Amino acid sequence: MKQLKLLALFVIPLGIIIAAVPADRVSQSRLSPAELLQEAGAGVQFIAPDAVADLLVQKDPSLRLIDVRTPEEFDAYSMPGAINIPLSSLLAEEYRDVLNQDAYLNVFYSNGSVYANQAWMITRQLGYENNFVLEGGLNYWFGNILSPREPSQTSPDDEFARYDFRKSAAAALGGGGVVSTDAGTPVVKAAKPAVTAKAKKKPSGGC
Amino acid sequence: MGPLAPNELISENTNFLLAFFIGIAFGWVLESSGFSSSRKLAGIFYGYDAVVLKVFFTAAITAMLGLLFMSLFGWIDLSLVYVNPTYLSSAIVGGVVMGVGFIMGGFCPGTSFCGAAIGKIDAMVFIAGLFIGVYGFAFTYGWWEKLYLANYLGEPKVSEKLGMSDGLFGLFMILAALGMFIVAEWAEKKFPREEY
Repeated sequence: MKQLKLLALFVIPLGIIIAAVPADRVSQSRLSPAELLQEAGAGVQFIAPDAVADLLVQKDPSLRLIDVRTPEEFDAYSMPGAINIPLSSLLAEEYRDVLNQDAYLNVFYSNGSVYANQAWMITRQLGYENNFVLEGGLNYWFGNILSPREPSQTSPDDEFARYDFRKSAAAALGGGGVVSTDAGTPVVKAAKPAVTAKAKKKPSGGC
Repeated sequence: MGPLAPNELISENTNFLLAFFIGIAFGWVLESSGFSSSRKLAGIFYGYDAVVLKVFFTAAITAMLGLLFMSLFGWIDLSLVYVNPTYLSSAIVGGVVMGVGFIMGGFCPGTSFCGAAIGKIDAMVFIAGLFIGVYGFAFTYGWWEKLYLANYLGEPKVSEKLGMSDGLFGLFMILAALGMFIVAEWAEKKFPREEY
């Protein structure tokens, strides 16, 4: 009985302390600067514009585009179905559930990719997953997805396939510059987005 | 930051070496707690000796508190710690088979090796039975596969199911463990046995 009291004297206060700590402090994982640098260096945050276009055309419900530009810029133009979370209010309480979740594929975009990358870095540092960056930003989106340039005659086949895909995606997404010359060519779908944010693999084993 | 092996802070071989030393320490603690005696182990089912309950629950709450505090200090990423996936049907059937085997044999798998290490013949017989069971299951896996994989629940946590924080669940776990210890000590007095 004396041992039991001694044990209780140790474990009950420790239990009360751990119970009083806010839940997200106990189980949240934050990345170290070195880990973040490794991920950013490997470019795991980028999602190809063609993959986003494909998801948009397919009306994939798991895709969520997040515009990190200012509300004025967002009002002037935004991608289909995008929501606006300006970079300056990224840490606001109201957006935490949007950014820290595992149901949607969040894709940040800005005019280039600098602001979107900053948004990704901040959320990644907080340990959030499923956030990605539109590679090339809106500039690339406009210049290459919504108004694709026809490749030269000597280009390899996959260039033409990509061109055809982009042309039909642009038509579906209401972009300009659509010329319907070879409508008979089958449309090659873009590859599914490479969702490979989890670099670490879970260990296997047991007792 | 831990866990050490998944984060590649130590190599797979170092991991095995650490496991070897931890295994030796575990066996030593088991043996010195009296876990190599099948009569002592079976005592939990009859009430005259609750050392199994006390040692394992003390170990469980110690490990639980250690992990929660290490996570709080940022020393370990709990999302990378391996959790056995739950297959509810086979967990229940397996639990019953294991429990019956425990009462009949007087050992659980770990303690049987502990007993065999100090030369107990009943423990060695138990280990032989254990291997028959393991190989028997492996060679007839096709018969059991459906049951084995039924009711897959992923890796659920009780705290998540109850909608409370890990820390609060930890506190309840500690209180439950201490409550069980009190009941166990009462049972030891109520059903005493002189020699076993």
